[in-house]
Amino acid sequence: MKSSRTGREGLTAYVFLSPWLIGIVLLTLGPMLYSAYLAFTNYDLLSPPRWIGLDNFRRMFTADPRYLSSVRVTLVYVAVSVPLLLIVSMALALLLNKGIRFLSGYRALFYLPSLMGASVAIAVLWRQIFGGSGLVNQVLGVFGIERGSWVGNPGTALWTIVTLNLWAFGATMIIFLAGLRQVPVELHEAAAVDGAGPIRRFFSVTLPLMTPLIFFNLLLDTIHAFQAFTGAFVVSRGSGGPADSTLFYTLYLYQQGFAELKMGYASAMAWALVIVLAAFTGFLFLTAKRWVYYGDER
Amino acid sequence: MTTVSITARPLLGRRRTRNPLVIGLVRHAVLIAVLLVMLYPVVWMVAASFRPTAEVMNSLGLLSRNYTLDNYRNGWSAGQLDFSRYFLNSIAITALSIAGNLFACSLTAYAFARLEFPLKRVLFGLLLGTMLLPYHVTLVPQYILFNELAWMNTYLPLVVPKWLGAEAFFIFLMVQFIRTLPRELDDAARIDGCGHWRTFSRIVIPLSLPAIGTTALFTFINSWNDFLGPLLYLNRPELWTVSLGLNSFLDVTGESAYGSLFAMSTLALAPIVGFFLVAQKLLIEGVATTGLK
Amino acid sequence: MRTRLGTTALACAALLVAGCNGTSVTDDSAGGGEGQDGKGEITGKLQLTFWGGANRAAKTNAVADMFVKEHAGVTIDRQNADFGNYFNKLNIQASSKTLPCVMQLQGRQLNDYTKRKVLLPLDPMIESGAIKIDDIPKEVVDTGRGPDGKLYFLPYGAAYDAVGVNETLATQAGVGLPPDNYTWAQYTDWMTRASAKLPKGTFAAGSRGGLPNFFIAYQLANGKQLFTEDGKLGFTKESLVEYWTMWEKLRKAGTSMGADAQADEPEGAEQGFIAQGRLLTDSIPGNALTPASGTLATKGGGQKLTTLPMPSGPSGGGNAMFTSGFAIPTNCDNVPTAAAFIDFFTNDPEAGALFKSDNGAATNQKVLQAQLDDPELPELKKRELALYQQIVAKKPPTILYPPGYQATFESTFTRSYEEIAFGKKTVEQAAESFFTEANAGLGG
Repeated sequence: MKSSRTGREGLTAYVFLSPWLIGIVLLTLGPMLYSAYLAFTNYDLLSPPRWIGLDNFRRMFTADPRYLSSVRVTLVYVAVSVPLLLIVSMALALLLNKGIRFLSGYRALFYLPSLMGASVAIAVLWRQIFGGSGLVNQVLGVFGIERGSWVGNPGTALWTIVTLNLWAFGATMIIFLAGLRQVPVELHEAAAVDGAGPIRRFFSVTLPLMTPLIFFNLLLDTIHAFQAFTGAFVVSRGSGGPADSTLFYTLYLYQQGFAELKMGYASAMAWALVIVLAAFTGFLFLTAKRWVYYGDER
Repeated sequence: MTTVSITARPLLGRRRTRNPLVIGLVRHAVLIAVLLVMLYPVVWMVAASFRPTAEVMNSLGLLSRNYTLDNYRNGWSAGQLDFSRYFLNSIAITALSIAGNLFACSLTAYAFARLEFPLKRVLFGLLLGTMLLPYHVTLVPQYILFNELAWMNTYLPLVVPKWLGAEAFFIFLMVQFIRTLPRELDDAARIDGCGHWRTFSRIVIPLSLPAIGTTALFTFINSWNDFLGPLLYLNRPELWTVSLGLNSFLDVTGESAYGSLFAMSTLALAPIVGFFLVAQKLLIEGVATTGLK
Repeated sequence: MRTRLGTTALACAALLVAGCNGTSVTDDSAGGGEGQDGKGEITGKLQLTFWGGANRAAKTNAVADMFVKEHAGVTIDRQNADFGNYFNKLNIQASSKTLPCVMQLQGRQLNDYTKRKVLLPLDPMIESGAIKIDDIPKEVVDTGRGPDGKLYFLPYGAAYDAVGVNETLATQAGVGLPPDNYTWAQYTDWMTRASAKLPKGTFAAGSRGGLPNFFIAYQLANGKQLFTEDGKLGFTKESLVEYWTMWEKLRKAGTSMGADAQADEPEGAEQGFIAQGRLLTDSIPGNALTPASGTLATKGGGQKLTTLPMPSGPSGGGNAMFTSGFAIPTNCDNVPTAAAFIDFFTNDPEAGALFKSDNGAATNQKVLQAQLDDPELPELKKRELALYQQIVAKKPPTILYPPGYQATFESTFTRSYEEIAFGKKTVEQAAESFFTEANAGLGG
């Protein structure tokens, strides 16, 4: 009885899964595995790939100082920007959840920067703020502090990209907000009847129910931070400069693949990143058992 | 889970003397202050879009004595066709993408969140795995594939992957949302004689409106702002999207038109803002009133 | 379980991979053969791709429309993107052997493509008369040649870099313009003298030690070779150290702008620092004169910009030509029409009148002369074209850029100077690492 039921359920599941399965077989897996193959080749896009074994990986770690510096830049970025992003978006999601006037207006305005995407206008706007005569320096000037360009200085350029990422916290915030809407009102009411104050209700009701989404945002924001590309590409105009200070991993990968026509090397870089991210994802899923609470667990 | 169980003892001794009016004012003040800083770049761009060409870039302030609509007039008619065509194209692609993502991702997510089937863990691992590879290295094989399929100069390379759930991000997002819903609801439906299809369409989907709204919104933004896809697959100007039109204002080897760029960038923001307001009203607010009863 | 799934997937993908490769290889041989001399019926579909923004697209389209009108049965698909994205797209198209029949190139990237043999030599088409080069100066045509001496793109427009000078600021500072045939020493000395008398917030020069074209001009003026036959660096480390030391002196004295401020410069001729009146002099593309003057005219009661040739040296002028033109890829299946279009775009007087030397001066002398004789040609455009004539009359040397030039040489050069300017390396260290990195990426 049990087995026939799960058998039917399995069949139903595959019906539900069919569009995705077709997609993954026809559109996704092929290109992915082809790029895996390219990682072991010398491929310049213009002539057929040539098998070179592990040479790409060897070069990465032994003969390419720019690769190592791109790893360094990316790690700093991930370590700083992910926690900042999570904390800020959670805080504002809570502020904008309810109990305040003009709620939808506020939400829209806070979300506005995230809507701009990778607009070419961003390169200009960021210089208006963090340029030598930008807004930040004008404000500092009032206090008698003189500074050069933040975008143009290798010591500070990375922080302007962190800020850019933080500026577009809207996407992460929206996921938290949507999650907050799904917290059943009854649980809050029950907790309130039991005499729990708002802070206690947050920690004992809201936060546990939010853990699947905190988990989601933590995982995805980390993956995105490792793959960060657009901000640095737009602000540094593709160079990763000044002096490689914003040379993110994928930006370097992109330069290697498309400008220097070393697509084999770029693919090797990509798969090295996949291995790191897979390890991270696996680790996070292991810890999830301890701290993520799902409504479907019985 | 033990964490949800609630004990009656208050955590800290708190004084209940704070005036709600004061708290409200402080809250608004904080929000407005943060907003002012955050929105300055956007406001600057809008202001710059009304300045004459020579003044576009060189002023930090927002005001000018010579406001003009020229940037909008010139910008709108840029390229071989004009922006009315680009807007229509972008809307068509975006609408098809949203429908595709909602269709494929919700079905897939339901299966992963609620059903038991062979190879589930392997397939879920595969789903996550597709998110880990930077898209730059699959651009070339994908281009070769779509070229072999003769999909050049059609919207198919931009839309079909959405209908086949190629964006694992949204599937995973929906899985996480659906898993926050109590299982008891499904069980109740099962007892009432609902099959999986009815449980999916009558119970899970209506309760996942926030997730659906979020997916729709993100898909809108991604498709609307997508530049690389249209650049590679849409060659004919009659197929151009807004993002391609915007890109044509900048030219390092000739003349750029920053005024027109800002003007059209401002207009390009309008549909997304509009969609955001509709999406949040219908979905986020909607759920709040019905609640989980 | 995991492994079995993996194997199946791998097998599927292997098939797919083989499919992709197989077709691209067979395509290669199918493309060649008939029509290589450009003779044949001018009809059917043609794909045209070029870089540029909306303004250039409008002019190019007007020419394409005229060509279509003259040749019934021809349709032209046009693609354009900004410079950077243009090449990304081109390379992706190349990977699937779908390069458009008429594709725009410069000498700077040419040999990335000749090395991989994806371009058709145009010489047979010239011999057959399908493409004419009679009215184009030999030095200009030669910029379209590969290392094997064959012509791979036909230059239609010749750009040059010039020294832009803000005449208003120069007069205010009491230094006037640099003398005719000025040298690098005179140029930097002139900047230094002006520097003290410039208004606050303006500099004599930008932080330009990392600008590749400026360095090329310096080497040419000194009669130095740029690249060796096998595509490696052909100049000495000492000459690079000398050049960067010169810029470092200017920067440390405050004559030139700081490197961080330089990074703030907006892209585009009409918004550059010299256009905004923040610099006395800068290296600018010749065709930037008109747009930059437009912005500068609104500054400080109307300032005026002029362009001069690059500084001279023991070997004469330092100017090089940067030509753009159209090439035909080997995968093209409509060579006769492509050849006819390239000839039309480059040589037809009416086409030239429509395009108005938008991407460098028209290389066809008759087309150029017609524009110069046009009484309606704006004064600044006339200045741009006249300076070109002056430069080409001196028969500037042809630079054969090795494969990897644009990607490796240019970006490494800029980055290496940044490392000096931000104090990360000494001039000697930077020159050393520049040589290692550039030589590793060039040629081959």
